[in-house]
Amino acid sequence: MSQEMYDKLAQAVIDGEPEDAEEFARQALDRGLDPLDCINRGLSPGIDRVGELFASGEYFLPDLIIGGDAMKAALGVLEPALTGGQERKVLGQVVLGTVEGDLHEIGKTLVGTMLTANGFLVTDIGVDKSAAEFVAAVKETGATLVGASALLTTTMLHQQEVIEALKEAGLRDQVKVLVGGAPITESWAEKIGADGYADDAISAVAVAKRLVGAA
Amino acid sequence: MPRIEPIEPKLHMDVLTPEQLASIRAATLQILEEVGVRFPSERALRIFAEHGAKVDWQRQVVRLPAGMVEEALSHAPRSYVLSGRSPGTDLVLDGTQSYFATDGCGTQTADFETGEQRDSRKDDVAKMAHVADGLSSIAFYWPMVSAQEYGRLAPLHELDASFGNTVKHVQTETVMGEQPARYAVRMAEAIAGSREHLRAKPPLSALICTIAPLSQDQEGIEAAMVYAEAGLPVGFMAMPTMGSTAPAAPGGALVIGNAEAVSAMVLMQLVAPGAPVFQALLVSGMDPHTADYLVSLPQKYLCNVAAVQMAHDWGVPSLAGTFGLDAAEPATWQLGRDSVYTALLCALAGTDITIGLGMLKASTLLVPEQIIFDDEIYHTHRVLAEGLDVGGEGLALEVIAEVGPGGHFLAQKHTRRHLREVWIPQLTQPRPAVDGTPPPDIRRRARARLDRILAEHKPEPLDDAVRGELQAILDAAERELGR
Repeated sequence: MSQEMYDKLAQAVIDGEPEDAEEFARQALDRGLDPLDCINRGLSPGIDRVGELFASGEYFLPDLIIGGDAMKAALGVLEPALTGGQERKVLGQVVLGTVEGDLHEIGKTLVGTMLTANGFLVTDIGVDKSAAEFVAAVKETGATLVGASALLTTTMLHQQEVIEALKEAGLRDQVKVLVGGAPITESWAEKIGADGYADDAISAVAVAKRLVGAA
Repeated sequence: MPRIEPIEPKLHMDVLTPEQLASIRAATLQILEEVGVRFPSERALRIFAEHGAKVDWQRQVVRLPAGMVEEALSHAPRSYVLSGRSPGTDLVLDGTQSYFATDGCGTQTADFETGEQRDSRKDDVAKMAHVADGLSSIAFYWPMVSAQEYGRLAPLHELDASFGNTVKHVQTETVMGEQPARYAVRMAEAIAGSREHLRAKPPLSALICTIAPLSQDQEGIEAAMVYAEAGLPVGFMAMPTMGSTAPAAPGGALVIGNAEAVSAMVLMQLVAPGAPVFQALLVSGMDPHTADYLVSLPQKYLCNVAAVQMAHDWGVPSLAGTFGLDAAEPATWQLGRDSVYTALLCALAGTDITIGLGMLKASTLLVPEQIIFDDEIYHTHRVLAEGLDVGGEGLALEVIAEVGPGGHFLAQKHTRRHLREVWIPQLTQPRPAVDGTPPPDIRRRARARLDRILAEHKPEPLDDAVRGELQAILDAAERELGR
């Protein structure tokens, strides 16, 4: 019976049905199933399958994103139900945002989806965020990875500010900084003292894994 | 994936105005009546004479009065079916969609394993039939190269290799002569199951080439009469070359070709009234220094469109010629430049059937992966010809309102539903490798796709009884005709 529920959760992720995933998560809890089992034996196989289908070219980005949304919807029900001591195994805690003065978000959103699909716990603080807001989010979540996105040559300068602010807050050593966006290059990342650079969401995952020592 | 994706054009192109079309028709009738066409076949000459044509028996030239031409062609059906041997493979030639085929019939193959150029053989025909079966751009199969190891019997072995490796309709352009044509009809009967079924759902049709200027090929015409009597669709392809076998003027070349094809279609109606026929008119040019045959010429592409209009003006389906360009190597700038015009103009003209994907060096050389490149161009043109659909969910008003200002559409179910309808060329959009390695070059990618089809696609085999019948027919042909 429980396997049936895990399969339904997995399928809701594979089919990209957030409402169903949320509903099945509630049903699972109502039936007394262990929320961690639901995540590890239901949602995780589901998102792994989505990743496989995406890597093989059969799934496109919307399939990936909506699959990720389905997983998030179910996690929204299951995570609060985790008992003390239970913890979802994650590769790392990530804070993602688009820097001050910049309203572009698609790239950042895609990176968030890919990281979530690959086992990271992502807090997306949104667009037009000051360096102070990045630092606050790191303090609040205990993140070990920060991703700062900028699409304009006029706003990319703020990526450097995020790094400076982390230094001033004494957090620079506990956090790896990943930068990206259309005008961003490897040499810019080096110049401002970032730890990593990726030019698309797919390669961002590999870089993130390397930075947290998981690759 | 559907087995066949025809072009259903919403955009249309004409090259000839109604006045120009009328003047070409009048000129053609004039040439037929005053200059005539050579038919080097006693039987054909007798039939023409019986129906009131003026026959010069010594020169073997017939002159046809306009009234006779128009009366005869009025019997030719505008619309009929070319059949395959599985559901979803019947082709309806009624002018609402275009069906494309492979090219043929070359004599050289770039070996599948070594890439070295060598003489073609039956197994090449079989392998490419298999590939054609797995490509949705291909609606029917022309044997692409000659089964040369079988000598005189090569054309019949080409049919055997074709029927055995694709369920799609097969059209022969190499069976010539009365006797071989009779064997081809027997093979088609074995596939169709019965003589009646053969007429209603022909699994085989034939293309016969004329000889410019204003002549027929004896063996071609004699084979054509056998097909017409058996009820198999037969078409005639004129290939006037401006400057050598036709005047150095597109109008004159069109008139000559028109006269050749029309005179043959008239004969078919006299032999078997109501015989399904089609017209192909491929004007080309010549190298002014060597008289070598040239395909990649803008005026040729315009004549291709005119030819479609002319066939439809006579009330018969049109076969257009595409690809099969002059270049000798795949994936060159030259080939890219020339490939674009050829198929697109024919699709926009509304041709019923078209050959020929997959060959190089003016249709003489088979390089196996070339068909993958042409398939990509075909689908590009298919999407172009279908125009834009901006109705219903295509206007997307609901999801626009849902997302509102700012935000994005990547996570919307509407996007997921419709994103696949935005067709993207496959060869130039490789998926990024997760580890960042660069994609293999485009010829290797095309070859990989071909190899995948050969390895994974399984055409429905003929059942044993039919295969046995085909072999028996080949054996009988060998005994009677020799190799």
